[in-house]
Amino acid sequence: MIQESARSGERESGRAGSESTSRPHDLPPSRAAADALAERLAELLSRCALKNQRAFADLYQLTAAKLYGVALRILRRQDWAEEVLQECYVNIWNHAADYAAAKSAPLTWMTSIVRNRCLDWLRRPQTEATGDEYDIAVEAWRDDSPGPLESLVASSEAAALARCLQQLETKQRQSIMLAFFNGLSHSELASHMQQPLGTVKTWVRRGLERLKGCLSGA
Amino acid sequence: MASYKDPELRDRLAAEYVLGTLRGRARARFESLQHYDPSLRRIVAEWEERITPLAGAASEIPPPARVWKAVSRRVAGAARGEDRRISLAFWRGLAVTGAAFTLVLALFIGLSPRPEPPMAMVAVMNDDKGQPAMVVSWPPMKAMRDPHIRIRVVQEHPTMAQGTSWELWMLPPGKAAPVSLGLISTDADQTMKLKAAVATRMEGAWGMAMSVEPEGGSPTGAPTGPVIFKGQCVKIL
Repeated sequence: MIQESARSGERESGRAGSESTSRPHDLPPSRAAADALAERLAELLSRCALKNQRAFADLYQLTAAKLYGVALRILRRQDWAEEVLQECYVNIWNHAADYAAAKSAPLTWMTSIVRNRCLDWLRRPQTEATGDEYDIAVEAWRDDSPGPLESLVASSEAAALARCLQQLETKQRQSIMLAFFNGLSHSELASHMQQPLGTVKTWVRRGLERLKGCLSGA
Repeated sequence: MASYKDPELRDRLAAEYVLGTLRGRARARFESLQHYDPSLRRIVAEWEERITPLAGAASEIPPPARVWKAVSRRVAGAARGEDRRISLAFWRGLAVTGAAFTLVLALFIGLSPRPEPPMAMVAVMNDDKGQPAMVVSWPPMKAMRDPHIRIRVVQEHPTMAQGTSWELWMLPPGKAAPVSLGLISTDADQTMKLKAAVATRMEGAWGMAMSVEPEGGSPTGAPTGPVIFKGQCVKIL
């Protein structure tokens, strides 16, 4: 996978630096790589806040494929995803100074900007999804196979999240993942899963509650 | 809606906002609520930390090169001041440099077709892209017999959708609710008369926000629609 090779490259460069000596030994290597990436992105964002265009180019280089993947999956149209991505990066440049106040992981902060913009985009009435463009993407999730979850565990960036998702009931997990990755609304979920709206809403709500409990160690 | 105070409902709405199943008007309303409710914003941030790392499982797809070309052109244009609109950095710089403020004031007053008392406070309101959209300023209220504020549209005026009104809100210090100042017209330069009770509170304002409301203004006395411009107030005299 491209994703994996990109990560291992990051890991090596992280290790070559001075950080390898100060990093706690109990962290798995991929976790250490994720932390190194987060540190790097936070540093780039702070330089973007000072209007350093070189830092902004590096930031784009490191994150664009990830964020474009997120946008494309939700919007299902390349031209829309490109436009949203473009807007979001200009936004990130303009608001880089706000990042420090957000107190979240840099990639989470950037991903939230893209996801929120995509969901706003879908609010426009003329962008209503026409039907089965997303079925192909969704096919992989239809059965109980962990699929993308496995890559999460492998990346161990979000191992706890993946473990907690796997503990949900199948329907709860499916509806949460369809909503998250494909941007499906409650009614789209209901028609896609061929279930009454109320049932799907309950799956989502209970799933989120259990997820929160599991992540807090309850 | 009183139920927005219910902690369980707040948590559930925040979760569904982050997951993306909160849609349409409910999403817009929830988004604008976050501007006035830092604790709600915190609950949202917690859910972002919980759920958003899931995006790490999405496949990475390199965007076409034209995206970066367009982004870097827009960013470089703003940095070099080629953009016709004034960059955010410019305004940020102003916000911390008192001397610079005198300059920009002189500029505004110089361009102004009518004489007016010196301004005491100014709020530069940015749009969601961080670009200045409007400048609201006002003289010391005590000095005025007819208290008013001046509103200038910096950007090319975005169109007001049919059946909507734009309502300007003053954000008082502390946790006090936003105070409606009135409805904005489409003029690029306008003054808005204030009620005496509102005028006395203007000195304490820390921010201004503009929301999209049903025609005639918010029916509840509080912002109900999305906030499209906002900015902090800065004392200049």
